[in-house]
Amino acid sequence: MAETLEAVEEKTPEKKQPEKDVKILAFLCNWCSYAGADLAGVSRMQYPPNVVDIRVMCTGTISPHFVLKAFQEGIDGVLIAGCHIGDCHYGKGNYMTAKRFRIIKDLLAGMGIDPRRIRLEWVSAAEGGKFQDVITSFTEQVRATGKSPLAKKKENG
Amino acid sequence: MKEELTKAIKETLSSGKATAAVILTEQDDGELMPRIITSADDPAIDSIYTGDKRYPMASFAVMLLPVIEGNLAVPVRECDRRMFVELEKHNQVDFERLVLLGIPCSQEVADACGCDHPFVPNGIAIAEPLAKPAEPTPLPEALVNGNPEEVLSFWMDAFSNCIKCMGCRNVCPMCFCKDCALDNPDLVGPESKPPEIPIFHLIRAIDMADRCVDCGMCEAICPAEIPLRQLYRQARQVVKDAFGYEPGVSEGKSPIEMLGEPTELAGMEEGFRTG
Repeated sequence: MAETLEAVEEKTPEKKQPEKDVKILAFLCNWCSYAGADLAGVSRMQYPPNVVDIRVMCTGTISPHFVLKAFQEGIDGVLIAGCHIGDCHYGKGNYMTAKRFRIIKDLLAGMGIDPRRIRLEWVSAAEGGKFQDVITSFTEQVRATGKSPLAKKKENG
Repeated sequence: MKEELTKAIKETLSSGKATAAVILTEQDDGELMPRIITSADDPAIDSIYTGDKRYPMASFAVMLLPVIEGNLAVPVRECDRRMFVELEKHNQVDFERLVLLGIPCSQEVADACGCDHPFVPNGIAIAEPLAKPAEPTPLPEALVNGNPEEVLSFWMDAFSNCIKCMGCRNVCPMCFCKDCALDNPDLVGPESKPPEIPIFHLIRAIDMADRCVDCGMCEAICPAEIPLRQLYRQARQVVKDAFGYEPGVSEGKSPIEMLGEPTELAGMEEGFRTG
């Protein structure tokens, strides 16, 4: 007799992600970091499964409003990864990101949201290993910071 | 003050320096009404208001300049003047078509605003300064020692009073965008009242960071008494610390309006990683 889905889940509790673990949203640029993540994948590099990727054409398209929206929806950490300075596919898109990032990080810090929840990294298409390191260290950093206070508020209604 | 302003407006209109002037008039019931006058003989000029109430005069100029011919005369306080400086950088007004008539603020207004500069520069002033710079308004107690948990709960408590009247956006002359992020259903639910916090207020804060001229009209108009001025002051401070840019004061365009040069990023590399 076929086992029900619940029965299977009960038998394999370790497969279920613990609810208390942190959720991270990563904006990856199409030309460098997404390809870097792809390289990490095909090279079978292990990194924590807490990250949800969003592919954007350039990190310069990421409005600070998107970062605010992520925190509003209960995300615990936001990673923005793009091409190295000078390597932007569109020339200077990541200069804009760097400036915006500085403002959003400081503004959130001023609102009492830990600036360790947000990180900007440059990851090229050849840096699968760096992508693994970034995700691993950022996940640890966000775990150390704990669940987002805004996420807690959302759960409690 | 009434005499000087009336005289200045009559002079500007009769000499042809401006074809129209936008003024505040006091009606019989004491309410204020903005009016456009096009001739020095207009009887409306007799009921001109020069009291302590503030009005976003720059918003009128943004509305009027595209529809009138010739120049527009506007009575301005110092904060209005800073708005015009910033609006010009965003291509909303043309200084060549504006005749600014600078009026000084009274000591009561300066104290109520905590204004450190309650008089306009000499070039456009029509009268001598009336007030001395006032003491800045003190920081709210919860923000003084800066414990993140206290700070967050201070702001969330303040934001939770919001009734989403949109007064802060509608009164603000720097909020000139035709498409507002606060109306975007993907960012803040248009049907959600009270609004989702803190995103509703933070979207405005981040957009004000390189625009807000610290006039304080948003806080004055807010029926829920949210300390909005402090919020936008923090945003302004972020831009000032990072780029040394102060809206309405610094020359040139805002650093986040432009793509920029590598030199601007010097020293920022360390800011990317925290902790």
